[in-house]
Amino acid sequence: MWNDMFIQLLIGAIMLGGIYGLLGLGYGLIYKTSGLMSFAQGEILMIGAFLGYTFFKLFHLPFVVALLATMFIMFLFGFLFEKTIIRTILGRGGTAIHVVLATIGISIALQNVAAIIWTSEIQQFPPIFNVEYLEFGMVKVAPESISGIVVALGCMVLLHLFMNNTKLGTAMRAAAQDSSAANVCGINVSFAKGLSWAISSALAAVSGIIIGPVYGVYMLMGALIGLKGFAAAVIGGYGNMYGAILGGLIIGVIETMAAGYLSSTYKDFIAFSVFIVFLVLKPTGIFNEKIIES
Amino acid sequence: MARHKNLFIAMAFVVFLAGLPVMLGNNAYLMLVLCLSGIFVIASSGLDLLFGYSGQISIGHAAFYAVGAYTSAILTTKLGVSVWFGILMGGVLATVFAALIAIPISKLVHMFLALVTIGIGELTHQAIINLPELTGGFTGVKLIPMPRIGSYVFDGISYYYIILAFVILSLIVKKHIVDSRIGRAFIAIRESTDAANAVGINVTYYKTVAFASSAMFTGIAGALYAHYVGFISPESFTLDQSVLFLTAVLCGGMGTFVGPIIGSVVIIFINETFQALGSYQMLVYGIFIVVAVIYVPAGLVGAVRMFRGNLFKVVKRFADKP
Repeated sequence: MWNDMFIQLLIGAIMLGGIYGLLGLGYGLIYKTSGLMSFAQGEILMIGAFLGYTFFKLFHLPFVVALLATMFIMFLFGFLFEKTIIRTILGRGGTAIHVVLATIGISIALQNVAAIIWTSEIQQFPPIFNVEYLEFGMVKVAPESISGIVVALGCMVLLHLFMNNTKLGTAMRAAAQDSSAANVCGINVSFAKGLSWAISSALAAVSGIIIGPVYGVYMLMGALIGLKGFAAAVIGGYGNMYGAILGGLIIGVIETMAAGYLSSTYKDFIAFSVFIVFLVLKPTGIFNEKIIES
Repeated sequence: MARHKNLFIAMAFVVFLAGLPVMLGNNAYLMLVLCLSGIFVIASSGLDLLFGYSGQISIGHAAFYAVGAYTSAILTTKLGVSVWFGILMGGVLATVFAALIAIPISKLVHMFLALVTIGIGELTHQAIINLPELTGGFTGVKLIPMPRIGSYVFDGISYYYIILAFVILSLIVKKHIVDSRIGRAFIAIRESTDAANAVGINVTYYKTVAFASSAMFTGIAGALYAHYVGFISPESFTLDQSVLFLTAVLCGGMGTFVGPIIGSVVIIFINETFQALGSYQMLVYGIFIVVAVIYVPAGLVGAVRMFRGNLFKVVKRFADKP
């Protein structure tokens, strides 16, 4: 089993899994702090990819600068989105489904903003590294895949450290666990909610920059990925950070192996089947997060 | 007399709709908009039964739309059955499909139900693509016939009357469901599932009935759509379509009769008028959804009710002034 094609597929699977995990992380973060679902993460990924592409290729900024600038911009976008649109909807008597529909509307708008600004053709990142392929024996790997895995891993570690070892992160966890109690302790729950949307957007944007160099940047790249991010979140346990990462890896591996060994047309069918099976049989996910059930 | 006021208004409206093609001078484009609106009204009324009356979210109704459309299309093109039978089977198969998936799904609520319906919608879409011998895959099904009685083919304007007949029929059926104990059970489940359980309502059973009946409407709408446009492909049955249905219900007003009608007409009208904007069409549509959700969260019906309530208060205040 450990032949070269398997290793090649595995690296791709881990990279995809990392992205699904980052998206799932974002979904879980938003759900934990504000109890809402956002359908815009896939399109935020797409915008992040386009922004990174613009900074890196068109403005000729160094890659790291492009990455950080994109993350920062989408971070602000997420924060502002929560403060303006989400707050307004909730304040005017909207419920969770209204927020869902609004995020769907935003995702449609973002797709077409991207098409207008960057056209609807596939754009390619210029190579980030000087090497085109890294070779390990018979296995050829694009360095962008490896760097993608490293960046995803780095983000997860940073997020873990932030959540557990900083005051702000602990405050966010408190707000997520019980917002009334957190309020009583003097924690600014409203800020924590905005921050969770902001972090989720930043993570989605990073995912875009990870996957952009490997698969190209185009208007519809976020749609299916966004849905699979939900699968990652559910499989791991919706709201659980580490669950999302595990869930992402599971979906990434299943999808890539299905594409490699069965047929690439079936991979989405299989991925969504796994998603539904989990939702029906084990909606609490691997890490047994509480969910609302009737 | 007053009790039947609504009935008279409805009947007057039906007469108006029946005469509409003549009034519009048989303008082909406007007839297209009307026919699509009618199909949409049936489909979104179905979703309204599930979401508006029974409180269960579905962002995957395109799956039932697809089952209805493809069933009828395949039966009529490959097996040569009559279109009437095809439409019937489209509805039946969609109903059975919904009943089967509702049983395991009905224990989920809110967000998780929304996610699983999205999954079902995507899975159906993928299934259509991955079964080319049956569904034609990406190339779809072509040359879907129009219904006929004897040698008379119902195409063009006459198909509009078929759609109108189905719209009236589905609204009558919806009224009967809503006014029956089934409808009351739906509303009870929507308001509080625990209380419904406590008074002895079999929640799982009625949730399944809600899914099944809702799918029947949407499946028939799908079949009508297939025969109207004559060609279907997987592209028409994606998440976008499910979102269109949901938007029609939410923006029109959930849990009402008029709501899905208004919502459907608005959605179709917007989609068609915005065509002129070219690539900006979808952008405006996306912004429209956001604006609609912010400013009319209770739908247009809810906004009108609020407006009439406010109007009454304003008038009363003037009337009370000495």
